[in-house]
Amino acid sequence: MRARQCALLVLVLLTGTAAGAEPFTFTAIPDQNESRLMSLFGKVADYLQKRLDTPVRYVPVKSYAAAVTAFRNNEVQMAWFGGLSGVQARRMVPDSRALAQGAEDRHFRTYFIAHEKADVEPADEFPEAIAGETFTFGSKGSTSGRLMPEFYIRQELGAPPEEVFERVGFSGDHSRTIALIDSGAYAVGAVNFKVWQTAVEEGRVNTDRVQVIWKTPPYPDYHWVMRGDADERFGSGFTARVRDILLKLEDKEILQAFPRSEFVPASNADYQPIRRTAHQIGLLAE
Amino acid sequence: MSAVVTTAGHWRRATLLLALAGLVAFALADLSISRGTPGAELQRLAQGLITPDFTATDALGEALATTLAFAFQGVALGAAGGFTLALLWHRPGVRFFAASIRAVHELFWGLIFLQITGLSPLTGVLAIGLPYAGIFAKVFGEFLEEADPKPADALPGGTNPVTTFFTARLPLVWDQFRAYGAYRLECALRAAAILGFIGLPTLGFHMETAFREGGYSQGAALLYIFFALIGTQRLWLHRRLVPVYLLAAVLWAPPLSSGPDGALKRFLTTDIVPAPLRDGGGWAESGTWLAELGTQQALPGVANTLVVALAALLLTGVLALALFPLASPHFGHRPGRALAHLALVMVRTTPEFLLAFVLLIVLGPSMLPGILALALHTGVIVAYLTGRFSESIRPQRGYSQALTRYGYEILPRVYPNFLAFLLYRFEIIIRETAVLGLLGIPTLGFYIDSGFAEFRFDRALVLIIITVMMNLAVDAFSRILRRRLRLQTPATAY
Amino acid sequence: MSAFRFRGETLWRGPTAVLSDLHLELNPGEKVALLGPSGAGKTSLLEALRARALRDTAWCPQNPALVPALSVFHNIYMGALERYGTLYNLLNLIRPTTYQQRQVGELASELGLVDKLRVSVDRLSGGQVQRTALGRALYSERPVLLADEPVSSLDEEQARALLQLTLSRHDTAVVALHQQEQALTCFDRVIGLARGCVQLDAPAGQLRRHDLTDLYQ
Repeated sequence: MRARQCALLVLVLLTGTAAGAEPFTFTAIPDQNESRLMSLFGKVADYLQKRLDTPVRYVPVKSYAAAVTAFRNNEVQMAWFGGLSGVQARRMVPDSRALAQGAEDRHFRTYFIAHEKADVEPADEFPEAIAGETFTFGSKGSTSGRLMPEFYIRQELGAPPEEVFERVGFSGDHSRTIALIDSGAYAVGAVNFKVWQTAVEEGRVNTDRVQVIWKTPPYPDYHWVMRGDADERFGSGFTARVRDILLKLEDKEILQAFPRSEFVPASNADYQPIRRTAHQIGLLAE
Repeated sequence: MSAVVTTAGHWRRATLLLALAGLVAFALADLSISRGTPGAELQRLAQGLITPDFTATDALGEALATTLAFAFQGVALGAAGGFTLALLWHRPGVRFFAASIRAVHELFWGLIFLQITGLSPLTGVLAIGLPYAGIFAKVFGEFLEEADPKPADALPGGTNPVTTFFTARLPLVWDQFRAYGAYRLECALRAAAILGFIGLPTLGFHMETAFREGGYSQGAALLYIFFALIGTQRLWLHRRLVPVYLLAAVLWAPPLSSGPDGALKRFLTTDIVPAPLRDGGGWAESGTWLAELGTQQALPGVANTLVVALAALLLTGVLALALFPLASPHFGHRPGRALAHLALVMVRTTPEFLLAFVLLIVLGPSMLPGILALALHTGVIVAYLTGRFSESIRPQRGYSQALTRYGYEILPRVYPNFLAFLLYRFEIIIRETAVLGLLGIPTLGFYIDSGFAEFRFDRALVLIIITVMMNLAVDAFSRILRRRLRLQTPATAY
Repeated sequence: MSAFRFRGETLWRGPTAVLSDLHLELNPGEKVALLGPSGAGKTSLLEALRARALRDTAWCPQNPALVPALSVFHNIYMGALERYGTLYNLLNLIRPTTYQQRQVGELASELGLVDKLRVSVDRLSGGQVQRTALGRALYSERPVLLADEPVSSLDEEQARALLQLTLSRHDTAVVALHQQEQALTCFDRVIGLARGCVQLDAPAGQLRRHDLTDLYQ
């Protein structure tokens, strides 16, 4: 008798799940704390939904690669990618295109940060003294946390990171990189300058212990990318509308959370330098 | 004086060999605690554990339901597949196939299926169901092999094989099948939770977030819910409810793919084809490619995997020998044992992957957290099994001192079983060690993860195949050693 | 069926010869009792006979070789598996048909098992297990009964009654026994095995108790 009641309960609970209209879905590379991303992209989804008049859903993922794979598999039609992940995604989905980037993304930077125990002074030149320390990147697929810092390490120190440093790690994201340097688990790390600035502003990092020791030259980074077949699925002109909405986005709260001052047009060609760099260090097969 | 030939001598030599290998591994391993202040982090963790926050996770119910749904469907698929394979267990090809699919960890299967079936329930179900089919095949196959052949022989001449199987073979082992299925469901719940770490929406998804961001109260709450789910399995896993649960699981998370059409073909004919061949190169280029992959990734990966696994095996043995009296009626008193039992169950329930993840955060990156996690989890399991086995021993003489009793009465009697449990677990330790690479410990999984992160699936696949070969080798080694030492194979240890 | 003939053959159990240079002829219609100390080769001889006439044999081995988890009904029904199709057998395993219930039920009442039909074999006494095994042999409805100490766990009265019932249902029977009395009263012919060969082969009517005691020395 109890068994039957249990069964009924389970079935009743299940009937509550019904599918609605096909939603427009997007994802973002998980470059920092997930709770931040959830709140930010939840707002973006609401914003888009109001203006597109189509259900919009944000699909959270656990890794940069998973974001690209979801895009490739058409599980999401749009994504907020970094420079490298955007290039990778467009290689796999040939007719997809970059729509917009943050104004700051045209001149993005990586900061090298160091724990006080590393004893490296801030400088304008590449800090060669970091050789022999322990070093952490961000995600394996990150532009600011992996590609650009590795490029400069190879260029300035003449060897791949695993030969230059005592230990090399991949923290997974920029929040984690900051936490790892802050705790002294690694002496030196490479971090997205925007995430660093926000962390400092919000007092989440002890700047007595951790400081920026070098800033890379600027390079293009984050951008929105849309699949080429989105118009087929959501009606012609859909891509243009989304692009338009993004470029006109003025919601202070959302822009601040990114954090970007505004979105500006972007094209696939803007990311040629990233593509070349990735080839050079062997992260992207020819 | 004549040469000493004792069974205990054989055990001692085998133990010495393994301990020596473990010590060498410890000498080679990177054991640094690089985190400046592990004490402070540990304190925050402890504080979180005593102040669980059950409200911090949104959509907790959904995550719980999805975890259950993946586990039920995965076990159903695994049992059905394993059952079919078990019917052909006499064929070496089938045994090899089953051994190969179970040598690939659920998380690696998950990463593979993410490419083909996307972030869908099907990925979760297949990631559990496929390796479990291999495990079920082995266990079912062995049950059937050991079952009494006489009833089938006594059937009237001319009875066809299908009828014979269902009337005179299957009923002999049905109860064992059922009990094993229930145990596998517990394992599947762990696996389903862990699949959250690669993005499937199970409990592990939120656990990863919580622990990574230092939300220990939230993490603790998720962990406790998980403990409760597994701890109460006996209460809710009623035989008659299984079909209902399975139906509910299929309705909640229909095992459908969210990958595009042709994703399987794309994966098989493009993604995993070695890059030189794909780009029109020949076998010579492929040879160079393979050699490079071997020296730069496979070799260090295999070496590190062995180092971590052997060190973990030694520590597991030490821990198990120290802890098994807690689960044995020959030592301590009843309330003490009950408490110890609870602690053992909790550590056993915590997946080693999750344990390693948390220890990495607390202690900082090195091999130490991985070794500790593997040894804690496995050590407790072996201690528990050994302690349970010691129940069957009647002490001949009542040594009043606990240590004397331990050394002279109990240990010599449980030792062969302890050794068998340990060797049996070695294969599982290797499997888990490889997968710890996903967390950054440079075992084979680290390079496999890189393959997936850089969309070089061809490399990832070669490395996964190497992982499989390593697993098969360790399995063979452990089997040979068990046979040499004339140890009974305890099926419950799997 | 034709007669069984052994002409100087040797029966093996693994690497050891159990009966060597065996000369024996068994004709249709004969009811034969096999006697001899344990290890004399009774079981081997029965197995050899079964191998020669697999499809004509109603088989009742000494180790009853029943399926412990299944009911008396199913274990008796197993005798008839070969007469029905696979699908019918499997359905009957899940849900017994009324026809089979009636048929098996009738047999069970003759065997004194009618109240145990739905009880699994692992819950029966030794005597009940033996009766179930006999039931399976009877239900196979084959002309030749080959049985290995089928009534050893029953008391004398019951044993004799059951033996007579079983023998009456088969043309030909070869039954290994350890009850010498039963051999003399229920069978046509007695074969005694000992020390690796046939020591005694005579019509039951011509034998007395003391003729048999030699076998067991």
